[in-house]
Amino acid sequence: MFRVLLFFLVAIGVIPFSVNADHSPKIEIVGSTTVLPIASRAAERFGKLERFERFKSSHRLRILVNAGGSGVGIHSVAKGRSDIGMVSREISTSERKRFEGSHLKVHTVGVDAVACVISSEIYDAGVHDLTRHEIRDIYLGKIRNWEEVGGPDRNIVVVDKERHRGTRHVFMNFIFGNPTAKTPGTILVTGSNNEEQTKIAQSDSAIGMLSYAWINDEVRAIGIRENKSIVNPTRETIRKGDYPIVRNLSFITAGEPSGEVKVFLEYLKSPEGQKVVEESGYIPFT
Amino acid sequence: MKNESHGMRWIFAGLNLIFLCCAGGLFFLLIFESYPIFKLHGFDFWLGQDWWVGETYGALPMLYGSTLVTALACFLVLPLALAVAIFTSEFLTSTRRRYMKAVLELLAGVPGIVYGLLGVSFLSLWIKDVFGLLDGNTLATASCLLAIMILPTVLTLSEDAMRAVPAEYRDNALALGLSKWQTATAVVVPQALPGIMGAVLLGIGRAMGETIAVMLVVGSLDRIPDPWFNIFASAQTIPSKLGREAAEAIGEETHWSALMALGLALFTMVLLINFIGNRFLKRRNFS
Repeated sequence: MFRVLLFFLVAIGVIPFSVNADHSPKIEIVGSTTVLPIASRAAERFGKLERFERFKSSHRLRILVNAGGSGVGIHSVAKGRSDIGMVSREISTSERKRFEGSHLKVHTVGVDAVACVISSEIYDAGVHDLTRHEIRDIYLGKIRNWEEVGGPDRNIVVVDKERHRGTRHVFMNFIFGNPTAKTPGTILVTGSNNEEQTKIAQSDSAIGMLSYAWINDEVRAIGIRENKSIVNPTRETIRKGDYPIVRNLSFITAGEPSGEVKVFLEYLKSPEGQKVVEESGYIPFT
Repeated sequence: MKNESHGMRWIFAGLNLIFLCCAGGLFFLLIFESYPIFKLHGFDFWLGQDWWVGETYGALPMLYGSTLVTALACFLVLPLALAVAIFTSEFLTSTRRRYMKAVLELLAGVPGIVYGLLGVSFLSLWIKDVFGLLDGNTLATASCLLAIMILPTVLTLSEDAMRAVPAEYRDNALALGLSKWQTATAVVVPQALPGIMGAVLLGIGRAMGETIAVMLVVGSLDRIPDPWFNIFASAQTIPSKLGREAAEAIGEETHWSALMALGLALFTMVLLINFIGNRFLKRRNFS
């Protein structure tokens, strides 16, 4: 019994060392859930490519992709906990100041639009566009019924996002001119794009904000109306820069990238890499 | 041989000490980590109603949400758990009782996320339709979900408590001419009451700490409902708040410290409830 116990104690002590003993090169990527599909798809393709064979010959290159949000991505790259960060918003001035010493470098690979979305029931009932002012009043709780903006007589389920989400920063910056605007009209708060998409699809009278890649038949994007002209979020309007709520999808490194990290980022900016961006539902940057 | 058992004793004592240090250390770590927010806001942190990261931190909506959700879950679970426990303990044959217990204990081990997913895809929609609400993500939904989650735990523990009442008590009651139903309600339940209380409190402990299931259906709105007793409004609980913001707060001293203070509040509440629950359970074992 004593020996068995001793064996387990020794085994527990040995495990951490044996895991660390693997020296094959690896790239760790952490951050925004919006950029994550690009990173994981690119990592898969990158591993298979012939011309990066030199990384595979002696040691197999491993690319680890983890979620966490833009803020986490910036923080862990600055602190040296990961090699590449994923961000779906600008690095804020306070973050720039705090991590001045790590010389964060931004590598933009794609463009995404944030659409104002509504439940398909409301869309089918005739609401196809809203002005910036109307969206603001809905989020402030001044407009509470769809009737006031030309829809059916039904109360509005105002869906907001967690305050630190990149999508919210971009959307609120356009609507209120302030990325951390307070929205007293909110009825529900959601986190990831996935969660918000589900909650809006389940409701028959919701409004919310979603990344362009997440729009579907149940969650319909509406146009932004300004002086009688309406801009819908489409591939065309986003690429041309007509649609107003857009953001860059980027990877960040601490200082100039080198070695495997450099080659991976170059791959992302190459035509093949840009094809990955497009397949993930976003607009290529170049 | 004597030597060996001596060594064993030391190893077990050492492991015990490690565990005690972990528990105590966690408590002091929480106090230490939450100190900056108290230096900044003082006692107002507990009474503040606004939580705007980077500006001001107020914990009241979360404290209120956690308390209300748990209390409501307890209110929902108690009559049902008691009824089924009485039936299982007093009216079922021992074979059927064993099957029943096996199923209950299996259910008690189902992880929170499973209940959470069922809550998102069915419960919130049902509650929305049944009560004609604007949206189904409410305090009431979270409470129902928690009640379902803790039901097996509360049930099986209170059934144990009833089962532990000596058989002579029942025989005497029956010999005095009481019916089976009267025996159960007038003799067994009062005798088992401390054990039942303990079971309920342990259930509450689990309900209070449940993160993911609540997070998915409570609406996550950091606001006390208006009016305050409106259970069909979105709200926020402490674990759900921590789950949503912890990763983003790493490295931001004030934000992190505010979350740690919430953790401290939760830790203290669960500790207190578990402590009281264990006291009740113990007292009935000695009686």
